[in-house]
Amino acid sequence: MSRIPTKFFGECDCEAGSLFSFPSGLPGFEDQSSFFFLKIPGAEPLLFLQSVSTRNLCFILLPILVVDPNYVLELAPDELADLQLPLDRTPTIGQDILCAATISCGDGEAPRANLMAPIVVNLQAKIGMQVIKGESGYSHRHPLRSEGALLPC
Amino acid sequence: MLIMWRRCGQSFIVGEGVQIEVLESRANRVKLGIVAPDNVPIVRTEARLTREENLAAALSAGHDMIQTLLRSLPAGAPRA
Repeated sequence: MSRIPTKFFGECDCEAGSLFSFPSGLPGFEDQSSFFFLKIPGAEPLLFLQSVSTRNLCFILLPILVVDPNYVLELAPDELADLQLPLDRTPTIGQDILCAATISCGDGEAPRANLMAPIVVNLQAKIGMQVIKGESGYSHRHPLRSEGALLPC
Repeated sequence: MLIMWRRCGQSFIVGEGVQIEVLESRANRVKLGIVAPDNVPIVRTEARLTREENLAAALSAGHDMIQTLLRSLPAGAPRA
């Protein structure tokens, strides 16, 4: 158990098990190759993807199935290989992989989720990437709604 | 939007020194060859959009947004 500085929660006790390697970083953050997944009691269902090397970099995520319970993730063979997942079967969200969407918000706009490019991590191998599914039909700016109404930000 | 028909092997030119050729055409995808100067960045649209969205996500992530989301989202949602 080591303590790492975080953007939102001071120093956190982080188990080694929540440390994930992102060999290619994320688009826009190619030099960030290690992240902790933080689950904060009381903040469910939010997830936090905290950079290990940059305290001030922490993405707020939502499990993809929270945003869209019917979400279908189709991983290509090269994406399965990059994630060190078996090529002969579809990985199960919540069991083999964690799949979550980054959340962002413009001034005065409703928060939105990038469903086109979810963060996917192999829970066993502790390796992750952002898979960009341009042909999936999902929006990179999917508005989050609460009981039908757009959330103010 | 400018629209044009091209056959395999035909190409077109954008600006100075950017040439795009249709190499192969299948049912729902085409293979393109692009010749461009080194200083012209070429990136898939979805990768650029994701980069922009990641930068916006990193910038907008704050305590206010966390509180807004927690007020509005149901707890005990499905596992990630």
